[in-house]
Amino acid sequence: MLHVALSNIKTYARRYIAVILAVAIGTAFLAATLAVNSSTQATLRNSLGDAYKNADLVAYPDWDLLGDADEPTRLDMKDIAAIRDLPGVSTAYGVGYAYGQMHTSDNGYTVALQPVDPNQRLGGLELLEGRPPLSGNEMIVDEAHAEDMGISIGDVVALGNEQGKTENMKIVGIQRSSTNPQVAATALGGLSEKSWIQFADGQEDFGEIVINAQGPLPALETQLQEHFASQQMKDIAVLTADEKVIHDVAQMTGGTDQLTVVLVVFALIALVVTGLVVVNTFSVVIAQRTRELALLRILGAKRKQIRSSVLVEALLIGIAASMIGVLLAITLMAGLIEVLHALVPSMSYATLALNPAGIIIPIIVGILMTVISASLPARRAMRLAPLAALRPFDAASVKNRAGKVRIVIGALLALAGAAGLAYGALEGDLIIAFLGGLVSFPGILMLASLFVPSSVAGIGKAVAGNSTAGKLAALNAVRNPGRTTATATALLIGVTLVSMIMVGGQTAKASLNNSIAGEFPVDVMVALPGTGLQEAEAQDFAEQIGELEGVDATATYDFGSATAEFSTEEPYEVQLMAVDPQSFADVALAEGIVPKDGQIVFTQWPTEDASLSIGGQTLQIKSSTATVDGNIVSKQTFSKLGIDESQAFSGILVKTDEQLASSKINDLVSEIADITGVDSSMISGGVVMKSMFSQVIDVLLAIVSALLAVAVLIALIGVANTLSLSVLERTRENSLLRALGLKKKQLRSMLATEAVLIGGVAALLGLVLGVAYGLLGARSALSSMGAMTYEIPWWQLAVVLLISIVAALLASVTPGRRAAKLSPVEGLATE
Amino acid sequence: MPKTENAVAARGLTKTYGHDSTRVEALRDVTVSFERSRFTAIMGPSGSGKSTLMHCLAGLDTADSGEIVIGGKNLLELSDDQLTEMRREQIGFVFQSFNLVPTISAKDNILLPLSLAGKKHDRDWFNTVIQSLGLRDRLNHKPHELSGGQQQRVAVARALLTRPEVVFGDEPTGNLDSRTGAEVLSLMRTSTREMGQTIIMVTHDPVAASYADNVLLMKDGTIVGSIQEPTVAAVTEALASLAE
Repeated sequence: MLHVALSNIKTYARRYIAVILAVAIGTAFLAATLAVNSSTQATLRNSLGDAYKNADLVAYPDWDLLGDADEPTRLDMKDIAAIRDLPGVSTAYGVGYAYGQMHTSDNGYTVALQPVDPNQRLGGLELLEGRPPLSGNEMIVDEAHAEDMGISIGDVVALGNEQGKTENMKIVGIQRSSTNPQVAATALGGLSEKSWIQFADGQEDFGEIVINAQGPLPALETQLQEHFASQQMKDIAVLTADEKVIHDVAQMTGGTDQLTVVLVVFALIALVVTGLVVVNTFSVVIAQRTRELALLRILGAKRKQIRSSVLVEALLIGIAASMIGVLLAITLMAGLIEVLHALVPSMSYATLALNPAGIIIPIIVGILMTVISASLPARRAMRLAPLAALRPFDAASVKNRAGKVRIVIGALLALAGAAGLAYGALEGDLIIAFLGGLVSFPGILMLASLFVPSSVAGIGKAVAGNSTAGKLAALNAVRNPGRTTATATALLIGVTLVSMIMVGGQTAKASLNNSIAGEFPVDVMVALPGTGLQEAEAQDFAEQIGELEGVDATATYDFGSATAEFSTEEPYEVQLMAVDPQSFADVALAEGIVPKDGQIVFTQWPTEDASLSIGGQTLQIKSSTATVDGNIVSKQTFSKLGIDESQAFSGILVKTDEQLASSKINDLVSEIADITGVDSSMISGGVVMKSMFSQVIDVLLAIVSALLAVAVLIALIGVANTLSLSVLERTRENSLLRALGLKKKQLRSMLATEAVLIGGVAALLGLVLGVAYGLLGARSALSSMGAMTYEIPWWQLAVVLLISIVAALLASVTPGRRAAKLSPVEGLATE
Repeated sequence: MPKTENAVAARGLTKTYGHDSTRVEALRDVTVSFERSRFTAIMGPSGSGKSTLMHCLAGLDTADSGEIVIGGKNLLELSDDQLTEMRREQIGFVFQSFNLVPTISAKDNILLPLSLAGKKHDRDWFNTVIQSLGLRDRLNHKPHELSGGQQQRVAVARALLTRPEVVFGDEPTGNLDSRTGAEVLSLMRTSTREMGQTIIMVTHDPVAASYADNVLLMKDGTIVGSIQEPTVAAVTEALASLAE
């Protein structure tokens, strides 16, 4: 039996292309998702986790462990020394910076210095040249900034600490620059521990202590926890380096690893689609082999043997296709990372990470999915009566055994799923909505035999008009309701999912844009470098930026900090953003954030207070939830508050044209960066977020649409298959029509009409379902994030419909030719 | 297993299709037996029930009532798996449209029933069958590389290889021209004479029937007569009288 299965695959390889393609793409998607996940982890470990990438354990003060009344622990050198004394500790060093000013003869830089001990893994630094700093007047600096400042080993620089004490230091080594984006912008350096303590002058505050173990990790972890507990440092958490990276990443991405969640959802959809395609293709392949399978039954193949032969085929195809898919994903990911390295040199820390699980899981899932999906058609094949081999092409009279059971189950699934979807959409519960969608769609498909043939017949009648060929086509299209349903369903699945993703994506984009507009007070915000107010300069830049294409309005602001006194709360240092109310009104996006004189738009926290006072001035509080870095006051008010202007700075606010394409936003941002001489990473605001979100959604949409396009393509191959089968079955009938005077052209147009009817109706039904699913899905996924804006991309949907119809038309070409080639007599002669 | 005189014996077979107005009684209480090592043809006009009878006898279709005994077992009492085993071990088939598996070679087609059963073939017997059917040079060809006559000879070889209790033929020459048809029929007759093979063949071609040892005549679901050592003329005359 195995060799029959094998020879089938060999002979009919082309029939399996669709399955292989579908499984390979589905698997590739899953593999890519896992690779993105592991690569993100590795990349972040390389960047965020730069300080402890060779570490075993990390101890750090965790705010979540801190009681309300407690002061957070400040980790200092003494704490580190205590840990070094613990048994089981091999090395321990603190990651923390003391800031100072470093001057060469030409210029000065702010430098962040770390303690470095050659016996303690150099404090996690990597020395590229020279040697570690040993004595009091030696230091090392990082490669990038050393180059920038034009200093090399042997040079002497002046180093002043925050207390203003300056000493000459000899550069003895060059360390590798950090890949942690949070610190990489500042010049980094290191001092020997002893001189670092003097330099820091009591300002020691380590963010983490990085520990390497001598013995087993878990034992040390427990021991450390006990150590901190005994020191009354209950807010110090001890995590493994991996856990710490995950913790950092989670903090950076807002608690959950949303990228992975989104990708996994898409991968699940991809797998479901792939499964349906596999079911469909195998059904067609088995229908084509009905006679052959029945013959095997006659010759003594048991039912189980037939089933296992189909399953063996599925298994082999699953193995091959999954491996192709995983290979595809790896190649793609490696390529993407290469491109990233080439285009963005600063992203050199991006790493392709492949773990065995990331390779094995997609392969296993791909294989299982293929085999499980094929088991449905395999069961059907198993039930074939041996006599089917002896019936000449009478599959045409297949009775629709849709049966009451199927309709009842379908209705139950559809109703239960719809209830889940409705609940999920109302409550904003994506998981329940997803399950609801997952349950309702098969339910609807099971009911397809109720509404697909009647839709086709109804629309056929309406469209056919008076042409005989048209009327015949409308009748032919529903002659075998079961087959019409199956063919249309395949297309319907693809179109539903494509349009669902389109509608969902569009709605997500619109809603996110809206909620961003609500959250961000301005489109673009540029902070000028350096301190001290630079109003004239800012004004000048604002005018230049105002000339740029895509810019609607500009305004300037000043930024400073002051201590605010409240009636009900402790005094608190607040940031103030001072604006000219008139020009600010032109650029402000959120409502109610334009201050009047003597008023403060307070964004720090929700407050009931009516006023606060700064520098003896009482300001009326206007509370706002907008995401602003400061609290907004008018410039006139600002000038009366007695702010230390030497620590203040100025900046520019920009409102962009609403119609500005997201692709143009990056250009605009770099133009603004050019004008102001600010690094483009320092330019923030809603429009930048918007463009980032739209780009992410667009990319996801493109990927998923491409994936689903394959499903549609496969479904259209199904249309061609069905037509070929119909042509084959109706050879006699078609020749009879020819003999009675139907022209070749009419015969071809009859088949084309039939194809378009099936394809068009399927696409139409799919669009209706897809729009419904898309809107409900987007609502369940996003309603928790704020008000929804529903948008339906009519043009894109029209294109989907058009493509389906044109492709169905194309699908009819080959069968039409074959039918038309038949001479009237020839056809009548065949059995 | 005690060998009885009859390879196949059926008693009281009935079979009806459809309901009410479309009701057709395909078999009405048919009792018939087929002697071992004989070549029997079943003839009758369209709708006489000859195909239904053959399908029931071969275990491809189930009779509504009655009993069919092949190799000491009643087909109507067997499970699907037992019936399948019966088909691959005790019954051979030769069909009108050659019914070979298109993807595998002639040799693999011939060996298919044995490989489905997971059994080795008897090399000597294989050679004998191949030799007598003249297929030695064609074994590695795929079915589509063979002529119609060659394909049908492969089908005959497949039927003979398991040394079944009985070989059923369903219009085995229906798709062949008269010369190759005659060749195949001669081979079938030779296999009854020289190998002792029992063959039951359904046909409506009097020439084909004339190769048989015995012709059974059917009409309206019952057996209405038989002709021993038939000639073309005798069969044609008998059929003509049935049509009246």
